[in-house]
Amino acid sequence: MVKKVNKIFDHKWASTLLWIIAIIIVWEIAACIVAATKRTPENILPHLYQIVAAIFSPKEVSSGMTAIMIVLTSARATILRSLLGFLLGIAAGFLLALIMKMSGLLEKMLFPYLMLIQLIPVLGLAPIVLSITGDINKSRIIIAAILSFYPVATNTLAGFKSVSRDKYDLMYTYAAKKRTIYTKVLIPSAIPYFFTGTKIAAPMAITASILVDTLQGDGGLGCMLSQSLKHAMSIYVFWLIVFFSAFIGILSTHLMSWIEALISPEKRVIRKAKREDRKMKAAKAPEAAKDYVYDRRARMCSKRRS
Amino acid sequence: MAQTTQKIKRPKTLYQRFKENSKAQSAATIVMPVLLGVVIVILWQSQALHHLLRTNTFTLPLLTRIGEIFGENLDKIWDNSVATMTVAFVGLLIGSLLGYGVAIFAALCPRVGKGGLTVIGAFASIPVVALAPVMNNWTKDVSDVASVRSMVAKILVVMLIAAANMCLNAYRGLTELKPYAMDLMDTYAAKKRTVFVKLQLPNSVPYIFTALKVSVPSSIITAIVSEYFAEYIIGVGRQIRENIVLAQYPTAWAYIAAACLLGVAAYVVLMIAQSILLRRYH
Repeated sequence: MVKKVNKIFDHKWASTLLWIIAIIIVWEIAACIVAATKRTPENILPHLYQIVAAIFSPKEVSSGMTAIMIVLTSARATILRSLLGFLLGIAAGFLLALIMKMSGLLEKMLFPYLMLIQLIPVLGLAPIVLSITGDINKSRIIIAAILSFYPVATNTLAGFKSVSRDKYDLMYTYAAKKRTIYTKVLIPSAIPYFFTGTKIAAPMAITASILVDTLQGDGGLGCMLSQSLKHAMSIYVFWLIVFFSAFIGILSTHLMSWIEALISPEKRVIRKAKREDRKMKAAKAPEAAKDYVYDRRARMCSKRRS
Repeated sequence: MAQTTQKIKRPKTLYQRFKENSKAQSAATIVMPVLLGVVIVILWQSQALHHLLRTNTFTLPLLTRIGEIFGENLDKIWDNSVATMTVAFVGLLIGSLLGYGVAIFAALCPRVGKGGLTVIGAFASIPVVALAPVMNNWTKDVSDVASVRSMVAKILVVMLIAAANMCLNAYRGLTELKPYAMDLMDTYAAKKRTVFVKLQLPNSVPYIFTALKVSVPSSIITAIVSEYFAEYIIGVGRQIRENIVLAQYPTAWAYIAAACLLGVAAYVVLMIAQSILLRRYH
């Protein structure tokens, strides 16, 4: 029996599931206590099934829209804006890291400021940016861009710097041009670092977008959040938004990992090798799979060179 | 041969000389950022920045004016800064300890603990904006005094964010040991407790600072954002917002300057602590 239980826990998802169930149980116990003692339990801690029921309830909450319709339409606005800011931010971050790598003088000039931006509470600047631009959409995009800009810039720069001396030496023996060094060595080796940056940046961009929403009424998740907190509409809209924004925050990080797995060449090779490995295992020849990885890498390198 | 000697003899350009001179390089590390700072200050004071951003001195006051206001409201700014820093620091402290505890649990019994890491790591991606109002609701009964209960709510939000950060890094510190270190412990027949105290705990110290480097600025930012939603009006972040609502832009800018100073000061303190503590081990 113990062995069987242990075997289940060998899978990573099993213990994750256990923790999620534990959290749900704690939540429900607390919800029962709150329901028994408070006058308006749904304001403090509704049962999870009540929140789920709110997703499917056909009752109109405000201006002919059901709760889930409100959440989804405002989420679309929020996500689109944060996505635009995020894309601008990571593009700017990558370019800045590249420029800083190219010119040592510029790096010296800008690096302390890059560190400084990290320490400035940019979200605190949201109201000021709003009053400077005067346009809520613009300020949302700008804040999301600034927030996603610096993790990407610092991480990508660290990636450029992580390239070891012998790789430069190898390129030197090939008499490679500067451009070739950048496209074949520096940028590919900075890509994992770049994605580490985007994984930090993605939830930040969403947070920024939601926060700027709360400053002014113009649709968006944050706006609906503050409205339902003021009881302008059903409180379940608030709970739906809380869960939904937590969900997209977590999803955004995972999305970045998926994109990384999709484009980064190293992961692609590893994945292919794993697939081959499974096939080989079926043929009872696991050693060959290992060779395959090296073989395949060597071939990739030679292809790049040619 | 003649060609190479010619190449060596060719006089270096000024740029090359500058690049190879280590003294000039280290001087540039200080001079260049200062230069950029001076340029920004000049642009700001001469209102060129205002033209660039198409704004006026009312929304983006001159630096001298911000400094003036900062000096005038020093007492109030100090009170609000203390409130923000208490929230950030207490939340960071409790959260980091909690995160470290979970990391130890996960390192000691990885089968069950690893899932906990995933779940707590997910908390790091939850927007603060979603957490803050929930915490406000939950802490309604903590105290009858509005200032205390909104403080508790803010601390809880900061705590969750800091715990998520610390737990992931500390787990790596406890498990990613130097190669063969574990084998060495095995040959000594060391007890699990000894391995933990002598090997895993010291190994995790640099990772703790890696976590703190991220979570110190983020706990201040979190404290500032959760002030927006708090019941009781206090704190640097809340004052920024309140003053903008009242169209008191210079005052708001003074609070922004205070927030920046807090962030920088906390980071400097962390760096000093790191240099003192890590010297003992490494």
